[in-house]
Amino acid sequence: MNKISILFVVLLVIGAFGVFIIDSTQKEPFEKVQPCDLIDIISQTNKYVTTDELARKMMSDDPTIMLIDLRTKTEFDKYSLSGAINIPLENLADKQYKEVLDQDVRTIILYSNSSDLAVKAWMLTSRLTYKNIYILKGGLNRWVETILKPKEPKETALRTEFEMYSFRKAASYYFGGGSTVGETVIKKKTSLPIKRKKKSAAGGGCD
Amino acid sequence: MEDKSKKFMNPYLAGIFIGIFMVLAYYFSGEGLGASGALKSVVVATVDAVNHDYASNASFFKARVGGEHSPAKTWLVFEVLGVIVGAIISAAFAGRLKMEIGKAPKITNNKRLIYALIGGALFGIGSQLGRGCTSGMVMSGMGVLSLSGFIGLIAIFGGGYIIAYFFRKLWI
Amino acid sequence: MGPLFPQELISEEINILIGFFIGIGFGFFLEAAGFTNTRKLAGVFYGYDFVVLKVFFSAAITAAIIMFFLNHYGIMDINLTFYPQTYWIPTLIGGFIMAFGFIIGGFCPGTSICAAVTGKIDAMIFVLGAIIGIFGYAFSFDLLWKDLRNSGAMGRVNIAEWMGISDGLFILLLTIIAAVAFFAVSIIQKKVVASTNYKL
Repeated sequence: MNKISILFVVLLVIGAFGVFIIDSTQKEPFEKVQPCDLIDIISQTNKYVTTDELARKMMSDDPTIMLIDLRTKTEFDKYSLSGAINIPLENLADKQYKEVLDQDVRTIILYSNSSDLAVKAWMLTSRLTYKNIYILKGGLNRWVETILKPKEPKETALRTEFEMYSFRKAASYYFGGGSTVGETVIKKKTSLPIKRKKKSAAGGGCD
Repeated sequence: MEDKSKKFMNPYLAGIFIGIFMVLAYYFSGEGLGASGALKSVVVATVDAVNHDYASNASFFKARVGGEHSPAKTWLVFEVLGVIVGAIISAAFAGRLKMEIGKAPKITNNKRLIYALIGGALFGIGSQLGRGCTSGMVMSGMGVLSLSGFIGLIAIFGGGYIIAYFFRKLWI
Repeated sequence: MGPLFPQELISEEINILIGFFIGIGFGFFLEAAGFTNTRKLAGVFYGYDFVVLKVFFSAAITAAIIMFFLNHYGIMDINLTFYPQTYWIPTLIGGFIMAFGFIIGGFCPGTSICAAVTGKIDAMIFVLGAIIGIFGYAFSFDLLWKDLRNSGAMGRVNIAEWMGISDGLFILLLTIIAAVAFFAVSIIQKKVVASTNYKL
């Protein structure tokens, strides 16, 4: 093999090593990790409030909680949890809200449609060293699934599941589930829906 | 007699360039470099032109016929047109642009042509069944690390090595 | 971020035009590597000219390396391309049939087109044969091929994933194996050419 050929082959091998090194040193790229998982990785302490826990607190008129709805005003007006304050995520760090959020008396529970926005907000508030901030796990989507429209467990389910279900049924009545919330289907925000145009001629690929 | 092989580009360099173009094809158009698909388009377009109704109903042609434009207006067809131009340019520069029959010295011209026809037909069938030819299925498939490309690689080259012995008179 | 056309970031006309120019590049380098010469092509199976192996793997590896980086840094998302689906049965069988076609005909579709337009009559006949073959396949499709063609569907399978290793490791292994092969075949080629007095 002449010198130039050797050079090219070596080039390819170096390139391949580069690929290998980058691929193995980077753990899962940041984008692929769900914010929830990242939080779990970062700290083992529980920053979550489940929908059941929240329901219990609200049903017992717990005065120490404060609900923050991180979605846009339009979404907030359409439906939100009673007693919640609307602070859209992008305004969370604004000076006007600092007093409300930066305190260690009340338990602040952040929520959005799913956990994603709330987790981002939580990270933000953590960096701002606000305390007592929690995330509603699963957000409003989960709220609807578990509290407003709880699913009846199968006959073979455990007794604890039945107990949870009866609690949830009660909560559902308390919060007016079933009848009032039927319309507002809270869609989980997906990123960039890529439409594959149905191509008639260009089937793509070699065949 | 001059050593013709000096006029050929270093194969690794050529390969690297082809690889780069493959990446461009994927980046801009999302497609791999191919060829057999263009031949299929020719067939489909021809049948469509001759008998549109048949083409709209027969399962092989159906999918490609009846869109807003001709079944021949595909990315692949235009890519192949480019391939034609590129090949001519390169051959022109290298002085390889001439009519001739490529073959091994041990067989006659006619035999070569007959075998070319048969080989072509086999490749036509095989590439349709295998969903691509060496460039489109294997090379481009390997480039994106698709399993299908590697299966094709083993099938074509593995098969080739097995069969080669029986047809060695054709070549060497 | 790429790929552009599948996300409708460029128009169909521009896309086709780009395809044309990319084709020019492809055709140019195929011819420059000598792929219009049927004896050079068949040489990989007989040991006197391994150009096919060298070009093939260099191209695939180059593309894989570059696209890995593009994918990794978010410049391109491979999942949005027309990534081939794996149908292992027809690919295996079709591949075998193509192997016959290669050994007997001395070309593959891409190279035959390059060769045909640069004057090689055998290539023109090959292209003709290929078109005839496709016609034959098309008209016997329902009868013979339809079910076979759709068998063995595995969806889009990434070979590294299938093997249970990372993309990077696979690319590295492939490249190393290829590099070793490159060295090996250059030695083999010298020996075969010498022993059979092969001249182009």
